[in-house]
Amino acid sequence: MKNEYIPYPAVIESLITESFDTKTFKVKFADKKIAENFNYVQGQFMQVSLMGVGEAPISITSSPSRKGFLEFSIRAAGKLTKKIHELKVGDTMFIRGPYGKGHFPFEEIKGKNLIFVAGGIGLPPLRSLINLVMDNRKDFGNVKILYGCKTADEFCFKDELKAWNKTPNTEVLLTVDKATDDWKCRVGVVTELWKDTDIKEDNAVAFLCGPPIMIKFVVQKLEGSGFTDDNIIMTLERHMKCGLGKCGHCNVGDKFICIDGPVFTYNEVKKLPKKDGAM
Amino acid sequence: MTKKVINKSDISKLLKDANNEYNVYVPMEHIGGDVLFSLLSKENNTLEDDIKRINLSSEKTVNSPKEIFYPQLDTMMEYNDKGEIKETVENSKKLVFGVRPCDFHAIAHQDHFFSKDYEDKYYLSRRDDSLIVVIGCNQPPLPNECFCTSVGTGPFLTEKFDIQLVDLGDYYLVEIGNEKGADFVNKHEKYFSAPFRDEIKHAESTKLEAEENVTLKVNFNKALQIMKTEEIPQDNLERIAERCIECGACVYVCPTCTCFDVFDDMKDGQGVRCRIWDTCVFSGYTKEASGHNPGAKKEYRAARRYEHKLKYDTLESGISGCIGCGRCLHSCPVDIGMSNFIKEITTNQKYH
Ligand SMILES: Cc1cc2nc3c(=O)[nH]c(=O)nc-3n(C[C@H](O)[C@H](O)[C@H](O)COP(=O)(O)OP(=O)(O)OC[C@H]3O[C@@H](n4cnc5c(N)ncnc54)[C@H](O)[C@@H]3O)c2cc1C
Ligand code: SF4
Ligand code: FES
Repeated sequence: MKNEYIPYPAVIESLITESFDTKTFKVKFADKKIAENFNYVQGQFMQVSLMGVGEAPISITSSPSRKGFLEFSIRAAGKLTKKIHELKVGDTMFIRGPYGKGHFPFEEIKGKNLIFVAGGIGLPPLRSLINLVMDNRKDFGNVKILYGCKTADEFCFKDELKAWNKTPNTEVLLTVDKATDDWKCRVGVVTELWKDTDIKEDNAVAFLCGPPIMIKFVVQKLEGSGFTDDNIIMTLERHMKCGLGKCGHCNVGDKFICIDGPVFTYNEVKKLPKKDGAM
Repeated sequence: MTKKVINKSDISKLLKDANNEYNVYVPMEHIGGDVLFSLLSKENNTLEDDIKRINLSSEKTVNSPKEIFYPQLDTMMEYNDKGEIKETVENSKKLVFGVRPCDFHAIAHQDHFFSKDYEDKYYLSRRDDSLIVVIGCNQPPLPNECFCTSVGTGPFLTEKFDIQLVDLGDYYLVEIGNEKGADFVNKHEKYFSAPFRDEIKHAESTKLEAEENVTLKVNFNKALQIMKTEEIPQDNLERIAERCIECGACVYVCPTCTCFDVFDDMKDGQGVRCRIWDTCVFSGYTKEASGHNPGAKKEYRAARRYEHKLKYDTLESGISGCIGCGRCLHSCPVDIGMSNFIKEITTNQKYH
């Protein structure tokens, strides 16, 4: 019987400091065999750990179309993630997964216009799908990426944001809650970006990831723009300890976010008991 | 079904014999009088003392047998600073002797839970080579709290057990439920003899009487029905939340609660990753790294426990997460408990 709780070493190949509190780690499994047999789907996550420190769920931010490595963008939030930030190229972290039956659709959304809305550390999970779309760009219609942070120094993937924006029929719109003098884009919460671009339910699907309060207002906006509940797709975050539907921490109603999600349609989210604070 | 009898005076001899082959878990009296499932010593000098402390009377163990297969604190792996990881899986051969019928149902619930979706190696390997001997309850061990007849989990089992004992005074009628049970009895055949017809009859009437002796009745099926279709009344939840002191007693004694936390501990280059029971009644249970806590409201935490056990478990597997053992009510300092909750939602009266 496989012991799903045992993690495997993965070596850091390169790392990028994205912002004052977030770094992106590119890792490879130390064991060649594991690396070769490893597959994942956009929207899934891994349990990432340092032995002696702890373990946490982290989204795979790389795209499954770019093989041979995994990328994690990690915000220094607490005990483990701060320690991970101290790691250098060549150091080892321990990973197991991938987890999440509920991931982002891909084949099903071909031919559609796509709207991505991210708040803060919400962009990394969406980026996996965004780059998968970029690698198959001709299969999709218009792509709009709306991304809001508290301040300008929080934005991740700055080079990619520029590159995506230069791709034909692709638009990247940024906003900050608090602007500094040199900020040229919009100021305000992410829904303010509705003023800068035309968002309508015209053969479109929307993907959301961000804090619960952002999700709530963006869903209202999208519904106002005519989106149906099945065409609003989001990732839910929950305190997680196992990723396997066992520790119970991520349980909401009859669902375990770790195995049934973390990606759900708004239709599915609406059916979860409200009192469990699904949104 | 094959039936045998065993004299009560032979039980300690049987257990001593079995102790050579199995790790034997049996209800034992501890200081203060609590009866707990405990491991029989393998050392000759302490074994005799353990044997004297065995209590198979109608006392209910404070703890359920859950912790034999799913210990409160369990080391999952050992590692060192070179990054070498060794899984620590326990898989000894176990005899769990004296399990109550309701707790046996709880084990079936755990078996299902720990096998579905992902197999939990820690639980399943502990459970793998285990033999369970059930003792039916002539008298409900917790007379004011047991409600197995309402749930259909006792006071005797009708199927799926390895071995079930019926207490007939000086001896037990031994019901052998499967091959595993038969193998055990055959191996220790010197302690078992064929029953007389009277003894079988006596056992049947004992079972019927036992059924009558469980006096706490709740409308369990109505509760399941209500839980499936309706929201728990806010007033009900608020009153639970108002009184619950969040001690966690109910979930620690619950034979079907499975939630855990995971932590690492490392010293001088050697470390362990462990899991430890955790509970949804604690406010930090759902707190996220951002500080956001979706389960913060106390009344919602109360709802979660009842809904999970009565509604979602039943919908998912057909096996109720509440088995009517009564431990939650018995241990709760403010008299909140599953039976009271069920009474409240099925009648319009207040019970706590
Ligand atoms: C599916 C999923 C995907 C995620 N993807 C990413 C990602 O791509 N990038 C990223 O940066 N983050 C991601 N996260 C969030 C990430 O898992 C957390 O930031 C991480 O767990 C923090 O761990 P830590 O040890 O650093 O912090 P900790 O020190 O554990 O915690 C920080 C705070 O969390 C709370 N907390 C933690 N554990 C407990 C507990 N047992 N009881 C009560 N409170 C507790 C406390 O308030 C504590 O102050 C994801 C989360 C999920 C569920
Ligand atoms: S035993 Fe009673 S007081 Fe303690 S957590 Fe359970 S319901 Fe609350
Ligand atoms: S993370 Fe443990 S059950 Fe979902």
